[in-house]
Amino acid sequence: MRLISNSPATPVIPAFLKQHDGPLTRDLVQAPGDFGLGKVPARLKPAATTTSICGYCATGCQLKLHLDDDGRAINLSPQANYPVNLGMACPKGWQALDPLAAPDRGTTPLLRDANGRLQPIDWATAIDTFVSRFRDIQTRHGSDAAAYLSTGQIPFEEMAFLGCLWRFGMGFHHGDANTRQCMATAVTAYKQSFGFDAPPYTYADFEESDVIVLVGANLCIAHPILWQRIMRNRRAPKIIVIDPRATETAQAATHHLQLRPKGDLALYYALAHCILRDGRIDPASIERTEGFDEFAAFVKDFTPDSAVEATGIPAETIEAIARDVSEPGKRVSWWWTMGINQSYEGVRTAQAIINLSLITGNIGKPGTGPNSITGQCNAMGSRLFSNTTSLVGGHDFGNELHRAKVSEMLGVPLASIPTEPTIAYDEILRAAEDGKIKALWIVATNPFHSWIDSGRLERLRDKLEFLVVQDMYHSTESARAADLFLPAAGWGEKSGCFINSERRIAPIRPARRAPGQTLSDFRIFQLIAHAWGCGDLFEKWTDPEAAFRILRDLTIDRPCDITGISGYDHLDRAGGIQWPLGRAALQAAASVEAHSQDPPHSTERRLFSDGIYYTPSGKARLLFSPPAPMPEPPDAEHPFLLLTGRGSSSQWHTQTRTSKSDILRKLYPSGAYVEIHPRDARALGIVDHQIVTVRSRRGSMIATAYLAPTVQRGQLFIPMHYPEVNRLTHPSFDPHSRQPNYKACAVAIVP
Amino acid sequence: MVTTLQPPPPDKAPAPPSGDLRTLIDELVAEQGKLRTPVACFSEYHNRQPDLADHYRNLIPLSRPGPGEQYAFEVALDRCTGCKACVSACHNLNGLDESEAWRDTGTLVGGKVAPGWQQTITTACHHCEDPGCLTGCPVGAYEKDRSTGIVRHLDDQCIGCSYCILKCPFDVPKYSKQRGIVRKCDMCHQRLSEGEAPACVQACPTEAIRIVKVPTTDERRDFLGSGILGSALPDVAITRPTTRYVGREVPETSFAADREQLVPQHAHWPLVFMLVLTQAGIGLLGAPIMKSAISTPALTWLGAILFNAGMAAATLHLGQPLKAWRFFLGLRTSWLSREILAFSLFAPIPLLLVAAPFLPFIPHVDPIAQALVLPAGAVAIFTSAMIYHDTHRSLWRLPFSATRFFGTMLAFLFLGLGSYQPLFLPLASLTICAKTAPELYTCLLGLREGAWTPDRHSGRLLLGPLQNFTLWRFGLAALAAVVVLFNPWLALPLLVSSEILERQLFFQAVQAPKMPGHAGPAALH
Repeated sequence: MRLISNSPATPVIPAFLKQHDGPLTRDLVQAPGDFGLGKVPARLKPAATTTSICGYCATGCQLKLHLDDDGRAINLSPQANYPVNLGMACPKGWQALDPLAAPDRGTTPLLRDANGRLQPIDWATAIDTFVSRFRDIQTRHGSDAAAYLSTGQIPFEEMAFLGCLWRFGMGFHHGDANTRQCMATAVTAYKQSFGFDAPPYTYADFEESDVIVLVGANLCIAHPILWQRIMRNRRAPKIIVIDPRATETAQAATHHLQLRPKGDLALYYALAHCILRDGRIDPASIERTEGFDEFAAFVKDFTPDSAVEATGIPAETIEAIARDVSEPGKRVSWWWTMGINQSYEGVRTAQAIINLSLITGNIGKPGTGPNSITGQCNAMGSRLFSNTTSLVGGHDFGNELHRAKVSEMLGVPLASIPTEPTIAYDEILRAAEDGKIKALWIVATNPFHSWIDSGRLERLRDKLEFLVVQDMYHSTESARAADLFLPAAGWGEKSGCFINSERRIAPIRPARRAPGQTLSDFRIFQLIAHAWGCGDLFEKWTDPEAAFRILRDLTIDRPCDITGISGYDHLDRAGGIQWPLGRAALQAAASVEAHSQDPPHSTERRLFSDGIYYTPSGKARLLFSPPAPMPEPPDAEHPFLLLTGRGSSSQWHTQTRTSKSDILRKLYPSGAYVEIHPRDARALGIVDHQIVTVRSRRGSMIATAYLAPTVQRGQLFIPMHYPEVNRLTHPSFDPHSRQPNYKACAVAIVP
Repeated sequence: MVTTLQPPPPDKAPAPPSGDLRTLIDELVAEQGKLRTPVACFSEYHNRQPDLADHYRNLIPLSRPGPGEQYAFEVALDRCTGCKACVSACHNLNGLDESEAWRDTGTLVGGKVAPGWQQTITTACHHCEDPGCLTGCPVGAYEKDRSTGIVRHLDDQCIGCSYCILKCPFDVPKYSKQRGIVRKCDMCHQRLSEGEAPACVQACPTEAIRIVKVPTTDERRDFLGSGILGSALPDVAITRPTTRYVGREVPETSFAADREQLVPQHAHWPLVFMLVLTQAGIGLLGAPIMKSAISTPALTWLGAILFNAGMAAATLHLGQPLKAWRFFLGLRTSWLSREILAFSLFAPIPLLLVAAPFLPFIPHVDPIAQALVLPAGAVAIFTSAMIYHDTHRSLWRLPFSATRFFGTMLAFLFLGLGSYQPLFLPLASLTICAKTAPELYTCLLGLREGAWTPDRHSGRLLLGPLQNFTLWRFGLAALAAVVVLFNPWLALPLLVSSEILERQLFFQAVQAPKMPGHAGPAALH
């Protein structure tokens, strides 16, 4: 008899008594995965692989999809050697296939019947209803009477199709996207300061900085792969986090400025004051700006002492930070996300950061820059191609030459091209409240959860004659309110391109069959174009890659020129390509490096190394205004200031997708919770994990109290992922970008 | 490729769902259904070394552990920032069930100074030096690999009794309902043995997790600031976990962010019935001691039925009952093995007592079996109590468990005795009341303000989410204590119900040690 001896602690046991093998054991046997994968579960060994950019945030990680013999994705892992994520991903990326199999996927169009119930219909009826209802509204009320609300989550070929179809083909004027909730402030700030919406950086700048300032950005959980890039920095950087909360990122940083919410504009002006006072400036860089004298005069009054009240930060700390961010010879980079963007004065705050970079010469060089980190996977694509605030392809509606160019290249009659951008998201909703907009078409977004003061959406629903929602799921808060629901294929079921935060363009690929009668957004737009009678305009838009080529050609001579990209295969081979890559530049580079094996352009490229900006004068503008008062400060009745933001790395926005993955659900709390400082809680008699009510002037919600020492006294934090939270938020907006101010409203909390 | 996009009708009128729209719809739906297999376009060459090999080369040891060493996870707290990719990677790269991952994350919070301190804690199996799962397993389904120290679970040996789940102070093994067994982290031993890093190590964007070699006889075990009173962290002395958490000092004030989460534990209904019914059965079977089983058939039959119903309930607790015959493999260390043995030895006694009237040819069968009931039953019940005591869960410590378990037996014994000798009825009533002492004490703790302790946590559970059960439990017990004074048979169903509730609360109100979880509302067990 064979004897198995296990460990000294275990007696010798005859083999027949121990089942070391069997069906349950074999479930977990691994086999070499090939394709550079290492070991994988033997059951899930791929027959082939393909790649796709992750469809959640704008980091733009590439995922390697493991395919079975039918080309169906059965597993995935992050792609090694991709210049963005280097083989890593956050849980959302790892679980990207899970939401595709959810039982609440829309599989057929739905139409609300006379009894108010959504009933399945066929596509022909759906499209006919769509066209006749919108046509009717247009005939009766004009082209301002309908609008679409779209997304930063679909490929830009689809965004462009939607924007061109709506405005050029169907002749409606207004349509905006949820990118208004996320990036509008950065867009406006860059446009005003640089003459074009141009985040100047490349992710390698994280690794090449000496001082990294993170403002209102919780990279550790919102963009974990970007934090990975910081951890790869070998220059022992100072990492300064400016945030009202002691976030995960603040915990990991070398310095944390726990400032008062919305105190940052005063802070940056005070920093500029110190820097100018001490002469720690870069004259060559200032030479490339406009408005320096006015700016210098403006910040003269912003002494560190004067900023103590607004920021809650001691004057000596402000002085020290001013020295840190202006240290001669040091590379200083500034990075911001929603802490800046979602504010009533976000544009000026972003520009205050841009100004600091400009006066200290921290721009256009490795490890520098005023860098906005984007939210959604394709917000950057939306910025160039959505045809909403800017004319498709990085053009201006107001520019006659641009309109003529687009008209000629797209074959659109010049008269069909509006001379003005769309009205903004909040203005669309106000027009709907006022009865001026009668119909909305919501595409791949969930405003009934996400829009600020979301109760307004529910109230204006009854004023709409027609609401169309096009989404993967028939269960979203918005889809449930629709008159007509169009089932859309999701990420993983269609192709197209995303553009990430650092301007890198890369494709996504279909590797799952969409359920039932579901169609990709691209195909839905094709159907609508055809049925509306403007199919000829889109004759050449036969598939996403054909649309890509049309859009690519349109970018010629613009800052975002990508005419040097031959197609999806080129993007794949190159590991994604950052704009710009013009045909001319590519050819010039190719002739220099003809003998080299490397691609004829670097995989990490940044803007403005030549000091030439996109303004008419070629100089950057220093823009500023005095800090504005908070729209709804706490008072006796509502004594707490409510902050909102991301809850965890496994949650995405309104959770229509992340809530479909069992693994992701394990990684975040199952219901809403409110973070409150333990001493505030004690004063109110609230104990940890007690159920409490949080109330604002607009609504109230129930949440579980979490006594978090990481929030400041007088402040509460609730993650944005729970639908209740936007019943509380205050509908105030940045005057320049019209971006909602999600992160500051007055609330009360009661046990 | 779509080639049928038609030019618009000349009058630009809304197109009816015409034939060509239908054709286009059919074509687009058909096209949507196609997966253009990208094998030809993007297939890569096979059989190269894993692309991430260079990344993780420094994160695993160069050589196998030597004598007196074993593998262990090392977590750099200053590099772990809460992205949780390790959990997903564990799930994907091990091909686990939909909601299954062998790694989990949580949060420690604390710190007296502003701003507060917070730390994400990633945790998998700690591959302990003295694994509780291994010593508790009745069938030897755990092995600690002699050379690597990896604690492996033998999936085909497992009987799904879940005792390892109760024994692990870190809440590591997880029961899989669909498989009827437990599964847990094996440190990706298949990968490690070929120089590949475990899934979590490969996937950590900040290289916070690595595999190191640690001495096995080391008493250091600077685990996670554990031993801090009230932190809700498990005591490392029980199993000696090998994971090292390094890189950031854990303040003494820190505690698990989910410490105050009042989530009742699993009720383990088969065990509730098994415990109560076997103890009640033994009590009733012991009751004829002053007479004889033959002269009190009602007591004997009822006792035997309850006891055997309890035994039957026990098998319902097993995911793989047919494999349970190997229970003797764990006798050396497992109280569950010992319990199975004790109850197996006891099992013939009720049968003999019931059968005694029909076995006149066997001399003295009745008195001998009758004399054995209480001592053998007491031994069996003691092994039951030790099963729970040995989990090191505060509410289940021996004085509490023994009071409850022997209390149940005694209550039924006195009730049975009282059925023919009313002098015992006050004793039954007293026992019913007295055995609530541990529960009352726990509830009292829950009522009073004070620092977190496992017992206070149990008390808050009893008075919080379990409040209704607690009220019914005490109400029925009080009623039984009164009724038994007048009519023991009427009191019997009341007593059984109150004891069932008592045992449900025994399981649900326990504070189960675990690694830190996350704050906020949690999913129910």
